Parts: sequence; structure tokens; C-alpha cells
Amino acid sequence: MTMTETSGRPPGIVAQGVRRTFGSVEAVRSVDFHAQPGEITALVGPNGAGKTTLLLVLATLLVPDAGSVSVAGYDPMTEAGEVRRRLGWAPDVFGLYDNLTAREYLEFFADAYRIPRPRGQQRAAELLALAHLPEYADSPVHVLSRGQKQRLGVVRAMVHDPEVLILDEPASGLDPRSRVDLKEMLREYAESGRTVVVSSHILSDLEELADRVVFIDKGLSVGEHVMSALPTSATSRRTWRLRSLDEPALVAALTRNGYSHSEPTAAGIDVDLADDAAAAALIAGLVNDKVPLVSCAPIGGALEAAYLELTEGRS
Amino acid sequence: MSLAGIGVVARQEFRLRIRTGRWRWLLGAWLLVVTGFTGLLYAGLQHTTRTDDGAVMYGGLMLFVLALAALVAPALAAQSVNGDRERGVLAALQVTALGAGDIATGKLVAAWGTSVVFLALTLPDVLWCVAAGGVQLTRLLVTMGVMVLLLGVICAIALALSALLRRTTTSGLLSYLAVFALSIGTLVVFGLVSAATQETRVVHTPVDPNCSIDPGFSPGGCSGTYTESVVRTDRTWWLLAPNPFLILADSAPQTAKQKRGSSTDPLGSMARWVRDQRRGPTSSFTYGSLSSTRNPGAVWPWGLGFDVLLGAGGLWLTTRRLRTPTRKLARGARIA
Repeated sequence: MTMTETSGRPPGIVAQGVRRTFGSVEAVRSVDFHAQPGEITALVGPNGAGKTTLLLVLATLLVPDAGSVSVAGYDPMTEAGEVRRRLGWAPDVFGLYDNLTAREYLEFFADAYRIPRPRGQQRAAELLALAHLPEYADSPVHVLSRGQKQRLGVVRAMVHDPEVLILDEPASGLDPRSRVDLKEMLREYAESGRTVVVSSHILSDLEELADRVVFIDKGLSVGEHVMSALPTSATSRRTWRLRSLDEPALVAALTRNGYSHSEPTAAGIDVDLADDAAAAALIAGLVNDKVPLVSCAPIGGALEAAYLELTEGRS
Repeated sequence: MSLAGIGVVARQEFRLRIRTGRWRWLLGAWLLVVTGFTGLLYAGLQHTTRTDDGAVMYGGLMLFVLALAALVAPALAAQSVNGDRERGVLAALQVTALGAGDIATGKLVAAWGTSVVFLALTLPDVLWCVAAGGVQLTRLLVTMGVMVLLLGVICAIALALSALLRRTTTSGLLSYLAVFALSIGTLVVFGLVSAATQETRVVHTPVDPNCSIDPGFSPGGCSGTYTESVVRTDRTWWLLAPNPFLILADSAPQTAKQKRGSSTDPLGSMARWVRDQRRGPTSSFTYGSLSSTRNPGAVWPWGLGFDVLLGAGGLWLTTRRLRTPTRKLARGARIA
């Protein structure tokens, strides 16, 4: 299936100046958010930054106090039905009907989206395969592990093959294998021309997954990055972690050469370096000094560095 | 809102209910209790020489079944919305093609339908009453129909409470209180309000030609005036109207014999009582029955009308609470 742009209607998600308060709590103060078809857009921010509230507005569940929103070309406030037909949403915390089997669960939602019965059954089988759960198709949902339930919840949001898929913290509670599977699944979904939005506060989850990242903090959108354009350690300052067989020798060599470094820990010793060239110079120096160096690598990904830079001094 | 949408929700609710497994036990216990009651009623009536045992049995059974159903029905609906919220399954449903009306009505249909299943389980005992004689078909059909409506009203009230309140325990408790208010509360309020609005009136008694009262014994003698306090239930009867038991009794069609009052059938007795309340006081000294010539009006159309409106209001409120996107969000409540 290919997604054709409806004439004049912006595809994906366009949200501008969204504001939503709960009593005196300003959950979302002013957020601009865009997500394009064919891409996975990550919404990143600390707990309580307003991610879930923003996603509830996008998912046609909450009315914003201010701002304009368009999802798949329709307004979630005034054209909720049109949006819902084109939108899949999986909340961060959700329940499953414990007494249903995985297959019945998906078929129920196919019914709820008014998908004709034979097509719904076929779709449920496809999604069970996609979630790597076909052997559990006829098991009651309560026997599934946490990660399996999470996967079932994610594919449930895809039951009507939505143009826009919004997942709130989909990777939480997933084991590494499931994370990789989820990434592949979402990557494939986005590449078929759909818009995928994923929220998280765990940056490493998004490092390889997202194409674009929108940072929000304290209810404000504070920055937007295209992942491929994020500065790497080649040209920007990073913290590097060094490990040596002889820790005192490493500390002595660093001090002798004028590097400010962290206290040694079991993980190693951290040093701030301007770029890859500086790192190469440091390694050459240490080897020259006969320090038995085991490893030297930047810690944290590019995303984490960008995030820390953005939120620096903000608290 | 569409029939298909309501069907999707109702089927799902039914399926989840059946899967929990306790239902077999509950339905079995219900059948046992109701049949036990009917059996005892039958045995008790064997020692009388009445001709309409069936009608008496049927009346007793219907009142008993309504009382039991009033205990079961709130439990069927009182957690259907906030329970789904608590389990985190409601929001995912709200973003599907199902509208708020589909979800609210589907849930009502499921709870109501389940309570009708309970009612249907009393059919063997109803047939027993019919076999005992004296239950005409119209009476059977009308009481069953009214019972079904009353169960729907109770379910709709409980459903609305589950949509309005966040905690399932609170909505459960309040549903029982609502049923209590309708069945006992109406009687209490009626009694108290009637007593508080008593009037004192002067009664002129005509001279009774056959009077033989000694004037020395009774100051008024055979004629004169005296005052009495009267309870003007003709002004307060409507407080009784929403009572489901009185609605059931008053709506049951009566045979000529039952109308004359020569039957001890409990439904008939309750109907006569409530209609007497509507008619209001008659003087104990009115010869030739002045007021009783007025046919006492039926109370049940008012009561049933009120209760059905109450139930419809409950459904409307539930739908409103389920409508999204929402502006209001209960404090501390997560929408998902």
C-alpha cells in the first residue's frame, strides 16, 4: 500500500504552539512538533516534560488549551473521526483483556475499527507474526511475558494499517532482543511511507531508531535534530573513557600531561576531549609512555551529548 | 452511534464476563435460591383452601426476584467504565472507530442483557406458578416486561456512576445506595413528608338514625362536630411512585376478583395500597362512601416514566463522559 498525499492536506503531524494545563499544572506550555511520512520521529524529554500529554492531544483524547494540530491532514479536535481512521496509538501504560487470547485481542480491535471480519482475521495473523507471537496466538494474554505484552500492544495500534503511528514509551520493559525486533518493525513501517512517532526518556533506545529527534523539557519544545546531522566525536567535545591494566600508571601519565580527569572507577577514567584528533594524540602519548591501555572510547551517544548540551544550565 | 458498534462492545463485554467463570456458580446459586423460595411458598399455601394459589405464588415470587435482581444488577454495571479505565483498556477503545455512544450503549446492553438472563432463569418457577392456576397471560407478560425495564434502569444508573466516579468501590457502593434510595428511601421519605404535612380538619357527622350511643358516654353523642388530623397522601403519593416494587405491583393487570380486593395476592394488595395513597384520606364518617366512588388512579405510569427517564439520563451522562477529545480530566487521573 502506498500513501498518497491528500490534496492540500499536510501529511504526518504538524503541531504548533500546543498548550495544555491541568488546573495549576502546566503540563505542556508551548510545543511545536512536526513528524513526516517515511521517518521515525522521536519525542525525547525527561519524565514529566509533557510528552504523554502532547501525545494524548495528538491521539484525539485531550483538547489543548491553545495551539493548532493536524494529524494525517485532519484536526484531532474537530475531525476526530477522520484522524482516528488514520491514526494508531499505543499508550505508555495499557492493559490487555486478560481473558482473551492474543488473536482474539487483535480481532476485537479489528472489529472496533470496523474492519470486515475476514480481513480482520487475516490482519490479526499478520500482526501476530510481526510481533513474533504466532505460537501464542491462542494462549490467553495473561501468560505472555511483559515484553510480549508490550509487543502485542504495539502491533494492536497497527491493526487498521494507520498512516500515522504514535507509540508512547514503546521500548520500556523490553529485553534487548525485543528492542531490536521493535526497531526493525518500526523501521519497516516508516519506510512504507508512514509517519512513526516514538517517545522515550531513554536516549540509547532512540540512538539507532530515530531519524529525527524533538526535545521537550518542562512543557517546551527546546530543540530538534536530524540524527544523521548530529555532531559526532570527530568534530565536537565529548567525554572519553579510558581503561588500563595499570590504573596508577594511567593516572600518573594523565596528570603528567596536563589532562584533567575524573576519579578512577571500576568502569575506568573519564577525560574530556575536544575531538577525535585530540583522542588520537592522547592515545599515542599514553602508548609512548608505556601505559598498558585497554580501551579508549567516547561515552554516551551523539544524542545524549546533544541532549545534555541542550538541557545544560536549564535546571 | 451504530448498531454494529454497539454490538462489538456488547459482544466483547459478554465474552469477558463469561470467561471469568464465576458466572456458572452465580447463575446456579440464583436458580437454587429462587426455586427454593418458590417451593417454600408452594408448601406454605398447601394449608390454605384458596383458589388462586398461583397468583399469590406468582406475586410473591416476582417481588422476591425483583429484590434479588436489585442486588445483582448494580454489580453488573457499576464498574464497567471506571474498571476499564483502571485496567488501562478504555483509552485504546476510545481512539477506534467506536463512538462514545457505542461504548456506553454496548456496555449497558451487556449489563442489562446479563440481568435479563438471570430473570430468564426464573421461568421454570414462573411456569410452576402458572400451573398452580390463577395467573393470566397478560399479568405474566406485563410484569415480566416491567421487570425487564426496571432492571435496565438499575443498570443504567450504575453505569452512569461508574462513568462519573474514578474508583470502582465508590461507584459500586453508590449504585447500591441508589437502589436502596429507590426501594426503601421512597417509602421513608413518603412516610416522613406525609406525617409532617398532616392537616387538622373539622368533621361534621350526620345524625345516625340507628344511633344508640349514650350521650353521657360520648360527648358528641350521635351527631355533632369533632376535629381529626388527616394525612394528605393525595399530595405526597408521587414520592412513592419511583419505588420499583410498587411499580411492579401496580402495573400488574388484575382480574375482577383481584380488583374487588378479595384476593390476598401481594401484588394486588400493594397496588390497592398505593392507589389508596394517591386517592388520599376519606372520612371515617362518610356514609355511602363519598370519595371511594372516585376511581383511584394508577401510580405506576408516573413511577415507571420517572425511572425510565432516570435510566435514559444515566445513559446520556455516560455517553457524555466517554466523549473524546475531552477538556476536563479528573485530578490525578491518567487518561489511558
